[in-house]
Amino acid sequence: MVLSGRARQQLLDPGIVLAFAVGAGTLVLFVLYPTLRVLAYPSLADYLAIPQSVRWVQAARNSLLTTALSTTTAVAVGLAFAFATTRPDVPGRRFFRAVALLPLFAPPFMVAFSYILLFGRQGLITRHLLGLDVNLFGLPGLWLVQTVAFFPLAMLVIVGVLEGLNPSLEYAARNLGADERSVLRTVTLALARPGIAGAALVVAISVLADFGNAVVIAGGMPLLATEAWFRMEGMADLQGASLVVALLMIPTTALFLAERYWVSRRRYTTVSGRGTRLEPLPTYPPLRWAVFTVCTAVSVLVLLVYLGVVAGAFTAVWGRDWSLTLEHFTLARDRVGSLWASLRVAAGAGGVTALAGVLLAFLTSRALPLRRALDFLAVLPGALPGVFVGVGFVLAFNQPPLELVGTPWVLVLALGFWHLPLGYQAAAAQLQQIDRSIEEAASNLGARGLRVLRDVYLPLLRRAFVEGFTVSFVRAVTNVSIAVFLVSPGNVVATFAILNMIGNGIWGGAAALTVLLLLVTFAVLGLARLGAARALRPTPVG
Amino acid sequence: MAVHLRLANVVKRFGPSVAVDGVSLEIEEGCFFTLLGPSGCGKTTLLRVVAGFHTPDAGDVFLRDRRITQLPPHARGTAMVFQEYALFPHMTVAENVAYGLRMRRVPPAQIRERVARVLELVGLTGQEGKYPHQLSGGQQQRVALARALVVEPEVLLLDEPLSNLDAKLRLRVREELRELQRRLGQTTVYVTHDQEEALALSDRVAVLNHGRILQVGTPEEVYRNPTSRFVAEFVGLANFVPGEVVSPGRVRAGRVELRVDGLRATPGGRVVLAVRPEEVRVCQDPPDTKPNVLRGRVRSATFLGPVRRLTVDAEGFSWVVDVRADEAVAPEAEVTLEVPAERLRVVEEEPEDTKTGGGGT
Repeated sequence: MVLSGRARQQLLDPGIVLAFAVGAGTLVLFVLYPTLRVLAYPSLADYLAIPQSVRWVQAARNSLLTTALSTTTAVAVGLAFAFATTRPDVPGRRFFRAVALLPLFAPPFMVAFSYILLFGRQGLITRHLLGLDVNLFGLPGLWLVQTVAFFPLAMLVIVGVLEGLNPSLEYAARNLGADERSVLRTVTLALARPGIAGAALVVAISVLADFGNAVVIAGGMPLLATEAWFRMEGMADLQGASLVVALLMIPTTALFLAERYWVSRRRYTTVSGRGTRLEPLPTYPPLRWAVFTVCTAVSVLVLLVYLGVVAGAFTAVWGRDWSLTLEHFTLARDRVGSLWASLRVAAGAGGVTALAGVLLAFLTSRALPLRRALDFLAVLPGALPGVFVGVGFVLAFNQPPLELVGTPWVLVLALGFWHLPLGYQAAAAQLQQIDRSIEEAASNLGARGLRVLRDVYLPLLRRAFVEGFTVSFVRAVTNVSIAVFLVSPGNVVATFAILNMIGNGIWGGAAALTVLLLLVTFAVLGLARLGAARALRPTPVG
Repeated sequence: MAVHLRLANVVKRFGPSVAVDGVSLEIEEGCFFTLLGPSGCGKTTLLRVVAGFHTPDAGDVFLRDRRITQLPPHARGTAMVFQEYALFPHMTVAENVAYGLRMRRVPPAQIRERVARVLELVGLTGQEGKYPHQLSGGQQQRVALARALVVEPEVLLLDEPLSNLDAKLRLRVREELRELQRRLGQTTVYVTHDQEEALALSDRVAVLNHGRILQVGTPEEVYRNPTSRFVAEFVGLANFVPGEVVSPGRVRAGRVELRVDGLRATPGGRVVLAVRPEEVRVCQDPPDTKPNVLRGRVRSATFLGPVRRLTVDAEGFSWVVDVRADEAVAPEAEVTLEVPAERLRVVEEEPEDTKTGGGGT
């Protein structure tokens, strides 16, 4: 390999070499190794036997069907919300945006759980207010629940694209003779198409990998994401579990690569120099009202998710005795240990994500050999379903020399590295904004190697650090897909405890503990916002 | 020639600020008409009123004799070239240019023919299949122009179309634009803050400030005979001399009395006189007997290429004077200035109360 002068110079810096070794080493150990472990665990014969297994073929088919259905509706709803929040003349746009973010902070099973409370057999709304007998379990329930749970992801992706569109394009179209509907069809939606495609891929990955909602509401319907856990829990069938998650990884990775290397490149950045940015054109009225109606209806559904759980937490016996009570919280208090375990694990995972993210982003931003490989490994976890990572860590770390299974560390590391792309990409984005000349100025004044990282980058990266920590923390504290594989009797996390209570029909206790978990999550989010605001203040550049 | 576009008392407000404040204009067929003014003077707002992006709060817009004030933008036939071009990034050059024709439901065969013709006109034949991001700034600019021209608009609107080009290219495209407009006889309204551009391109120029038109005329009229201090200052450079009218044709300014041709103001009135730097002559040996001759001392001399720009202190005023660059005038030199009586003109001070408001561009 021919190294540039710059690269050679950096390889001579002992600090950089050490950082490189640590970064690459941890990626190989905690990302690559568990992945390969899973893929290599079943024999070739096992793989070849997949088409013969009726149950797996069925699970695969169900997973693909729910993915197709839920992705379509979630993207449609996300598009409506994206429109509502980027058009200044849609009434209630701030409200819609705030509501649409709520599902992102809920534990993955919460939508399903709440809808069973509200719309299920014993549903407060279906049975007791409307007198209907509705069975929510199975495909229709899962479809509804995943739509509500994942449309926010679609919204965020599409909003990013719509905000990037220069309003003058719509003006130009109108000026050239297009009426309002033609502008929408030929310009606005046409330009949003790559964003919509990207949103569909992101949502599809999440739906395919969704464990929490599926395990609560899918009922008897076999799905790939839940099948692995049933294999492991019910039959201690590691072979089968790894086979299923490997099977699941194929479509998620394909979707992930498609998003990363194809769709995201096709996004149109509006080419333009300077120019006065125009106010967006008034929204086509029928569209405005359609968007408003969809957003209102879905917002009600989102708010009901939270209201249902809160109601469940204060109701004596759901479905029979509607009197208010605090008794579930006393029950939940016995499980307060699990809340602490959740907090410890999530804080650990957040730290791992943020630290590793910043370090790796720093390394891949330099002219070092193998930086593309590092970059690939740092974003790879984004392609892996949680259940895959769960099984991977079980297989990789259940024997010496690294016998971590049974300790809280395995959960910390699994969650921390699973969320690594979030911290890594946040840091990489910040690094791109930092002008090279700042570093050159620092070197010019005598700072070398890692000292540049410490003196120049770390202060500027504080924001990325807080962001990586927060996102990873929130997702770790609400995670179930990995937790179910890695909890051990000594460190049961809250989500796992809640899931068990739901499974055992202890709805009141489950709801109460969920409420406590939500309070903790929002408290940490609030603190992080304060922290982020403070981290911003001393930052002299962008 | 017939009046093609007419604005009658157009007013446009944004909240409390008045962007366009009672503008009336008549633009003749085939005319290259420029709205010139500093940023925030309301020129772009006015252009958008013509395009139909803004509905005026008062006043009317007429195309020939048709009132189009309330017509939606797509029904007006006023094609616009945007400052940032606003090319559709997801369409090729040909698709961009064909867009307006497609929206007018022109048959495909005819679209192909007209697109090819207009691309040839702007010199982009062979680039049909490229996307905007594959083109240079100058080429993007031509696509934007072709896209507007192809629909054969009643009036072509150009919003600072050259401001995103580098200086050399700007000059070339400017010439091409002018040539093309003449050839097509296309009625054109052009918005710019660049006075040189306005002078070079236009048949007629309207100078705007604070949402009002201060002066309309040919480039030469506006340059030679600015009626207000603002116009004299914004279009070119000028010396201003405040004074008091002594008698018709005579003004006392400080210690000197200046002759001013054609001055009919009543004695005792206060006036401001303006004269261009290149209109003031520098004499080395003073002919004391001539009128309008001032003694002074050169404070600075700056070489600007074709001219040398002097600052001369004379009779209590500081004068900016341009002389030929090969005339060697050293700082501190004693000189005599001659201010021709026929070149001195009275300009109006802009009243203070119009200097508030504005907003928008």
